[in-house]
Amino acid sequence: MRPSIEKLVEKGFLLSTLLSASITIFILSFMFLFSLPLFKGGKIVEFLRLGWNPYEGNFGVFPMMVGTVIIASFAILIATPFGIGCSALISVFSQRRFGRFLRKLVEFMTGIPTVVYSFVAIFLLVPLIREIFQKGTGMCVLSASIMLALLILPTIVLFLTDAFNSVPKNYLNAAEALGATPVQKLIYVIIPSAWKGIISGLVLAAGRAVGDTLISLMIAGDALQIPKGLSDAARTLTAHIALIIASDYESPEFKSIFVCGLILFVFTMLIVLALRLLGYFEILRER
Amino acid sequence: MNRLTEYGITIFSWITGIILIGAIGVLLSFLLYKGIPALNPSMIFGETRALDALLLRKAVVDGLFPAIAGTILLIITSIIWAIPIGVASGIYLAEYCNVRWKPLFNFLLDVLAGIPSILVGLFGFAISIFLHRHLSEHIYPCFLISSLALACLVLPYIIRTTEQSLTNLPFSIKTTGLALGASRLQNILFILIPYNLSSIISGIILAIGRCAEDTAVIMLTGVVAMAGIPTSVLSQYEAIPFYIFYISSDYNSQEELMKGFGASIILLGICVFLFTLSNILKRKVAIRFATHT
Amino acid sequence: MRVKLTLCLVGIIALLVAGNPLVIAGDLDPFLGAKGTLRIAGGTAHIPVMKEAAKRIMRMNRNIKITIAGGGSGLGIKQAGEGLVDIGDSGRKATEDEIKRYGLKMFKFAIDGIAIVVNPENPLIRMKKSEIIDIFSGKLNNWKELGWKDRETNVYTRDASSGTRKVFWKKALKKGEIAKTANFVKSHGAMKSAISRDPYGIGFISVGYLDDTVAPVSLDGVFPTLENVRKGNYKISRGLYMNTKGEPSELTRFFIDYLLSKEGQKIVAEKGFIVVKQ
Repeated sequence: MRPSIEKLVEKGFLLSTLLSASITIFILSFMFLFSLPLFKGGKIVEFLRLGWNPYEGNFGVFPMMVGTVIIASFAILIATPFGIGCSALISVFSQRRFGRFLRKLVEFMTGIPTVVYSFVAIFLLVPLIREIFQKGTGMCVLSASIMLALLILPTIVLFLTDAFNSVPKNYLNAAEALGATPVQKLIYVIIPSAWKGIISGLVLAAGRAVGDTLISLMIAGDALQIPKGLSDAARTLTAHIALIIASDYESPEFKSIFVCGLILFVFTMLIVLALRLLGYFEILRER
Repeated sequence: MNRLTEYGITIFSWITGIILIGAIGVLLSFLLYKGIPALNPSMIFGETRALDALLLRKAVVDGLFPAIAGTILLIITSIIWAIPIGVASGIYLAEYCNVRWKPLFNFLLDVLAGIPSILVGLFGFAISIFLHRHLSEHIYPCFLISSLALACLVLPYIIRTTEQSLTNLPFSIKTTGLALGASRLQNILFILIPYNLSSIISGIILAIGRCAEDTAVIMLTGVVAMAGIPTSVLSQYEAIPFYIFYISSDYNSQEELMKGFGASIILLGICVFLFTLSNILKRKVAIRFATHT
Repeated sequence: MRVKLTLCLVGIIALLVAGNPLVIAGDLDPFLGAKGTLRIAGGTAHIPVMKEAAKRIMRMNRNIKITIAGGGSGLGIKQAGEGLVDIGDSGRKATEDEIKRYGLKMFKFAIDGIAIVVNPENPLIRMKKSEIIDIFSGKLNNWKELGWKDRETNVYTRDASSGTRKVFWKKALKKGEIAKTANFVKSHGAMKSAISRDPYGIGFISVGYLDDTVAPVSLDGVFPTLENVRKGNYKISRGLYMNTKGEPSELTRFFIDYLLSKEGQKIVAEKGFIVVKQ
């Protein structure tokens, strides 16, 4: 190949990378651009503070932010012990076959589309929750958190299992030589040395939980209130965006969704920074 | 920590495992129980004859065929955008990138990977408004915008797998070609990439799976409840995940609901198949590395 | 003998002509030679009628493509006004402001009532207007206050774009508040399926959508039947409109005329609405 063509191809590679990297910047700028009117009017502060009440002219997204935080937090709260338990089961406790089976099951779960989770939940989980609470429609924070936990569980489990498996073998051998049982190995050796990986997995799952749209759109009830309890219906930022897109586009309501987008973007950046600090990316690149 | 707590932890782990298996089992059996009865040709083709529909002679108005066609076309177009740019970026980052810029690129791409899908959809929507206002009155959320947005969504998968697979190659493989006189580019194109094909393809398959199942992006960029087969890139279209979403709240009869379950099974089947394929390829690669050094 | 034969022949030909749908001046005729894409969006109450009409048209002529999206009356009007769709459906009249801003032309093709619905399990199907206002505002929030079980009322409402909601709010709730705890649903179909699945729910849908999965509620003694709406006894009603920006284009004109034709209005009646043209 002639050197000039080679140079061209190599320039092409560079251009592709620049294009890919700049997509992120474009997304940020568009969000900013479209929400500028709100910044200019100085309305941004009340926007973040107030509730959503079109009749009074308030288009605040505070209830939605609370909704996102609460639903995501509960999902993580539910998913973490399950995640740790299952990972422990896969890599430490069970005989090889069961561990492999469980791992395959979790990998299978990564392929389940979100919309299928929500679809089934509407017909299975929602009536159940309604009967348990004896009030409400069944579409509430709890239902959404449970399904969300199910969604992010594979992320946590696969991450944790990898973290557990990457504990240096000589640590484990040393522990065994000292007479440790599998449980003791888990508690005293594996978890302490893999804690970085564990936290990374949780942070990643948190990102996924906050960013998910369909589960909260279809199962959390989309009410405009600030949820005060598990049985209250709530709306997340993501569901809010989806709902509003389906309506007008010149009104302040419309511009509000871009601010939601901005909030989500900032959140993503924070997660990425947190993961960097934890060296997640170092670990991933070494693998 | 005493014996009792340790036993407790063991039991706890087993319980979580069993609950998880139970939950998934219930989910799947419910889906299959409700959906399998609906799986027949009329679910897909409605009242039109299959041959007429496939040859595009007649439109299908009450079956899944337009949605299935829409999803397939969407996947193909998105991948066409994503593969060249993704693989090229991966190669650049792995082989050519200046150490000074690498952290910046990595950061931007990691943020892109973590961005919620609805934000990517919002971005696509914003672009269509922008183009509508400044370029042409005829542009609105459509097939083209959806496929571009989906490409943005899956780009990080392809870039990451390409880049990682190239950097993780054993030193000997990386340098043999160069030692024999090949130029850098020749080395990459004719030796490294072919060697790594399984990894790269596993990344592409993952991207395909993501395109098939994503709902949030397409919801904001052009998918509608009824549109037939898209005849131009600027037209609206249907897709399977949106069909499921739409049916879940808007069903008018038990038959329509059953179609929703049937569609869920189809989508589940497609996605599970793709993700499993991707994992098998990844494992094949891992085995090869384990036996190499 | 010859006369008889001729008469028979004439009779047979007459039958063939009369029976052949292509020969009779059919309402679908204008679509025969046409081609193009028709984009419809907006009110969700209109969707069953639109879908059926689209089905018949597309079956007859495969060069025509009709896309139908929901989104609510507000969206329909906006998108029609911005030229993003050819026909914007709305379940409410466009406001003066909207008409002026976009230069809209409205075409009414049906009359519809808005019924308050509860789940079939709920025995309280006779309510007073004041009770409805209190239930939807959240003041009356437990069914036992009306004589049923001790369970909270689950209020369902529609999103901001919904014309149905606007009319309901104006005419039934007298512009009263809707409780903050209300669950939002995106369309008529969604409202219907939500109420049919929730024994303690209450919401509002178009009379045309009523079936036996939900139970309509009488307001101050008047049930939301087609008869009552037509006669004007049931006051919560509205017209279903198709809106276009300025004069409709050729294909759009065909579609509008089709819905206002005999066959089109038959579809309207079949789907549970009241025709505007006999």
